[in-house]
Amino acid sequence: MHIPDGFIAPQVYGPAYGATGLLWAIGLRRLRRALDPAAVPRLAVATAAAFALMMVTVPMPGGTTVHVLGVGMVAVLFGVWNAFLALSLVYLMQALMFGNGGVTALPINALAMGLLGSLSAVGIYRLLKPLQHTVALFCAGWTGTVVPAIVLAVILGAQPHLAQAADGTPLFFPFGWKVTLPAVIVPHLLVGIADGVLVVMAWRVLGRKEST
Amino acid sequence: MIRSSGHDRALLLGYLVAVVTATLVHRPILLAAGVMVVLLSAGRPAPSLLWRSVRATLPFVLAVTLGYVLVARDDLPSAGRVLLVLNLRILLLTLLAFRILPGIDLQRALAFSPTLRFVLILTTSQVLTFRRLFSDFRQALACRSPHRVGLLTALRHGASTSAWFLRRAEHDASEITQALDARGFFLDRD
Repeated sequence: MHIPDGFIAPQVYGPAYGATGLLWAIGLRRLRRALDPAAVPRLAVATAAAFALMMVTVPMPGGTTVHVLGVGMVAVLFGVWNAFLALSLVYLMQALMFGNGGVTALPINALAMGLLGSLSAVGIYRLLKPLQHTVALFCAGWTGTVVPAIVLAVILGAQPHLAQAADGTPLFFPFGWKVTLPAVIVPHLLVGIADGVLVVMAWRVLGRKEST
Repeated sequence: MIRSSGHDRALLLGYLVAVVTATLVHRPILLAAGVMVVLLSAGRPAPSLLWRSVRATLPFVLAVTLGYVLVARDDLPSAGRVLLVLNLRILLLTLLAFRILPGIDLQRALAFSPTLRFVLILTTSQVLTFRRLFSDFRQALACRSPHRVGLLTALRHGASTSAWFLRRAEHDASEITQALDARGFFLDRD
């Protein structure tokens, strides 16, 4: 789902860096002030776990495979702030160390997947947990994939409206919402199912092993 | 020769400035000049650098280019200019990433924030271990499966792998904390 460099206009990534920078500063301050000495190591391994989860692939109809996002799983297990910082670090490392994603898209990816994905996943999990735990876990995984997809589709589709040449042609990502909304969201409705199933199954494996 | 953190920070800053500049330039000739400068600065490995960059961006760029040609087929000259600018910018940004980033020690570059540097060092070591282990798991599944892996098996494998990584992460977090505590790390930070 990551947006690569070159598709996002400075009018978008500039303010996004401002907002994300503020949130990163708040998150790091919370981390420094944490009385629990394990807070920093836990963030580091949560980041590594999020990185590893993104390598897990699931076969899809048509013989293709997709990699899960793991946003819901990381958010439910580590909390919204830890998930936001951990996923931001994953995108930073992917952009600067492994050549995936991009520096200009980093704050958008961090906000969409790290913050909004985590917030929606934890929110839906807490809402549904008293009713049915398995359904709550599945919906957390699904929401953690679909909400970021909607946000990214909206941001990508806004590019031709926000950055145009004098003759009205787009300067960055050239497709509007008519293309981005179905093209980005529909596949992620399926990826979300894989993410949801994986959260439920991983939780059961974790629970079963822990109880023995 | 031991490099100072200032060198890495300057390189990272230079890279970020170059990236921002590339997104502010919309003239194809200037973007093409930028591509040439990066390739010339690479010297002999320039062809392989170009090939790596093209290969890394090709699926995404091809999908966008073909899609836009279909959408804007009534005004192909205008679409051509849009796609030229877009593709040159993406090529330039990818070349910049492959040319500059491998030369930067990120831990040194981010040394201005001890917490960030500490998290990054811990994370990098964990990520490299997890990557190797993930590859081992994938190969183990492949070599133990006489036929093509089915959906259910793949899901079970994915769930077990995810759970293993999460449990390992919890275990490593407490182990690292104890190791740091035993060495007085948290006292030093007070």
